Amino acid sequence: MRIAIAEDSGLFRSSLALLLEASGAHVTASTSTGIELLATIAASPPDVVILDIRMPPSFTDEGIKTAAELRRIHPRTGILVLSTYAQTRYASQLLETVSTGVGYLLKDNVTDAPALMDSLARVAAGETVIDPTIVRRLLHSNRKPSKIDMLNDRERAVLRRMAEGRSNLGIAKQLSLSARTVETHITSVFTKLGLDQTDNDNNRVRAVLTFLRSADPGP
Amino acid sequence: MRAASLPSAGPAVSPGGTPGHGGQAQRWSPWLPWRGRRFRQAATAVLVVTACGTVAAQGTLWTQVPALAIVNVVTSLTFVFTGLTLYRQPGQRGVAWALMLAGVCRSLDFVDTWNAGPWPVYDVVCGGMDRVFGAWALLRYPNPRLPGYQRVFLIVLASWMLVGRTLIAVTSTARWNGESPSAWWPALMVNRRLFGLISVVVNAGEGVLGVAILVFLVMRLVQTRGLDRIVIAPVIVAGLAAAVAGSATAVVQMLASPGATPNGAFLTEGVVDLAVPLAFLIAVIQRALLLNNITVLAAQVSAGADVSAVRYALRATLRDPTLDVLDLSAPGPSLHDGDASASVGDGRAGASAVAVWDGPQPDRLVEFIRTEAGTPIAVIIADPALARYRGLFDAAVQTSGLALKNAQLQAQAARAELEQVRASRARIIEAGLAERRRLERDLHDGVQQHLLGLAAQLTAAMTSTADPAATAAFGQARDELKVVLRELRDLAHGIHPAVLSQGGLAVALEDVTERLPLPVRVIAPVSRAAPAVEATVYFVACEALTNVVKHSRADSASVVIRMTDTWLDMEIADDGVGGATPDGQGLANIVDRVRALDGDVTIDSPPGRGTRLVVRIPCE
Repeated sequence: MRIAIAEDSGLFRSSLALLLEASGAHVTASTSTGIELLATIAASPPDVVILDIRMPPSFTDEGIKTAAELRRIHPRTGILVLSTYAQTRYASQLLETVSTGVGYLLKDNVTDAPALMDSLARVAAGETVIDPTIVRRLLHSNRKPSKIDMLNDRERAVLRRMAEGRSNLGIAKQLSLSARTVETHITSVFTKLGLDQTDNDNNRVRAVLTFLRSADPGP
Repeated sequence: MRAASLPSAGPAVSPGGTPGHGGQAQRWSPWLPWRGRRFRQAATAVLVVTACGTVAAQGTLWTQVPALAIVNVVTSLTFVFTGLTLYRQPGQRGVAWALMLAGVCRSLDFVDTWNAGPWPVYDVVCGGMDRVFGAWALLRYPNPRLPGYQRVFLIVLASWMLVGRTLIAVTSTARWNGESPSAWWPALMVNRRLFGLISVVVNAGEGVLGVAILVFLVMRLVQTRGLDRIVIAPVIVAGLAAAVAGSATAVVQMLASPGATPNGAFLTEGVVDLAVPLAFLIAVIQRALLLNNITVLAAQVSAGADVSAVRYALRATLRDPTLDVLDLSAPGPSLHDGDASASVGDGRAGASAVAVWDGPQPDRLVEFIRTEAGTPIAVIIADPALARYRGLFDAAVQTSGLALKNAQLQAQAARAELEQVRASRARIIEAGLAERRRLERDLHDGVQQHLLGLAAQLTAAMTSTADPAATAAFGQARDELKVVLRELRDLAHGIHPAVLSQGGLAVALEDVTERLPLPVRVIAPVSRAAPAVEATVYFVACEALTNVVKHSRADSASVVIRMTDTWLDMEIADDGVGGATPDGQGLANIVDRVRALDGDVTIDSPPGRGTRLVVRIPCE
């Protein structure tokens, strides 16, 4: 897998490259800003680009801007944003900008090489990946929509995997269920929550996240 | 003749100088009206001519009763001298003429002692005119004119006397009037019965009219107030004394045997009459001495007097209880006031205490006090009678003006100092906040990234090695690194929440409330406020929500933030048990933080009905 990195912190950037190389990936470019990255990979885009959120020059949301630009120029390149911020708002903002082949992970994931490589592979394959920490926070938030109370435990587990961006097959594998059972649960979840059943997995992530973030402090 | 011999009154006096206001008031003296060489020459001439005429008019009295002659001359000259002294005082020319004419007429009262020519007839016909002129002066001084009815009255009196006495003269002979037969007499229609009748009627009329004048004088004494009273009281008393003496002389004259002259009574009357011009001179001096009051006023208002202190002191000094001093300086910006309407400078503070200046007042004496730049800071509204004490009034206005200007400068200095303190406090808050943000960024972007890099290297090493012991050691180090990272994140967040700087209040509060165990509705604008305001509002929200979680037993809460160009309002409400006491440490911290930004905190926590905390902070 060919990977390019745009990361402000030099030590983290080189350490990440080291980790990726050690895990069998090939780091084709490594820059400190998104603009430099776009220039560097223009000729041969990699399979996935790893972006930091806060980078020069403004240290605000360059990562998301770069993601939008990257998707416009190289629509087939996956985008993984690595952030130190466990804020659902950033994840939502990213999904509103880029809807497929995109991921939002916390940098702490570098302590789990297989999970990181799995996420990179899924993003490269066009799936969507959301950090489980963020999804967990949404599900346990006091502001979670009260309709979630209508779901049973199994349906809640399915909902959480959907929010993390897992495909039906992925969910089935994780929960040791048949694909058919998973599909039944998903239909049930969508019906109970009053969401439109979408055929696209990525739109599904967005719909679930939007639902979870909707401010509904209960009755 | 002191006036005439006065040396030219120093280098500051210019020829023809008029009695002035303002700065000249300090040198105001009773002799001020004698300023000017030409006037002094004219006055001296008048005095010399009067002296000669008066001496001559005493006729044979010099040989018969020289004491009476001397008293008459002295009294008449004193009248004329007083008249000349008053002549140049503002609005007193009429009184001056009346006094001078009274003096001249008085000296002519004894012209009949010549016992020849027309003088005896003149004495019978015009002998009372000095009293008419004297009454004129007494009733008028120090007003610029007589009341209309008194003027009419005096004209009636003068006419009654002149016409009545003329009728007496033409119906009688010189002898009947006690005059020498050798004098010329217009005995046109001599008739004993007619003479008797007319004499009774005329004398009775004069008596009645004379009593009326006494009534007028007593009325003036009773009715006059303020500075006028100090000045005219001696004049009226002297006038009453003269009137009594005159009446007594008349009675003595009537009771005396025909031909006999009651010279003792005349002498007494002359001496009493002398009191009248002397009283006028005392009044003139009294007016000058009133300036001493300014010293008292200056002492009273010297140390930082406000408008009400100046008003009180001016009322006492100028003896005008109707006097008012209104503050015209715009009310300063409210220093600490949570009420938004207070920032609208409508001068309500002045309105509640005293009347508001609402334009010119033609029937009052109005004087503005202005700064050097000409901006009016106060207005003094006084009895128009004070215009007659222009020197005193101007000096009083200047003294009060200095006090008020001084007070205003002091207030300005205090305000400037306060502004400085507030500005430096704001700078300190800003600097402290900037320092915390820098520290947080250093931890977040520096130390944390390094540790994350280290974690990645450990993971890479774990991936690369097949040695189980090494893998276990790397794994343990990695797990400890995770703990350190979590602690570091908590530490950085405690120093300053990065999410606040990056996303603003809406995002940061959402982040906070997501972690709370109860649903909290957050309504906040996406627009940003000043970093110090955001930091304080964030702190207050966290503190208040902590209290909600700990103490309120609420099922839900809400945080509502509204922002305008000038204010940020935040209301934090819950549906808990209420009864929060405003003296807790948590609330004290909130109040301190909000006050530091000149904001206000109100808490409403009735038992059983939830708690509502409202914070309002001014924004630039």
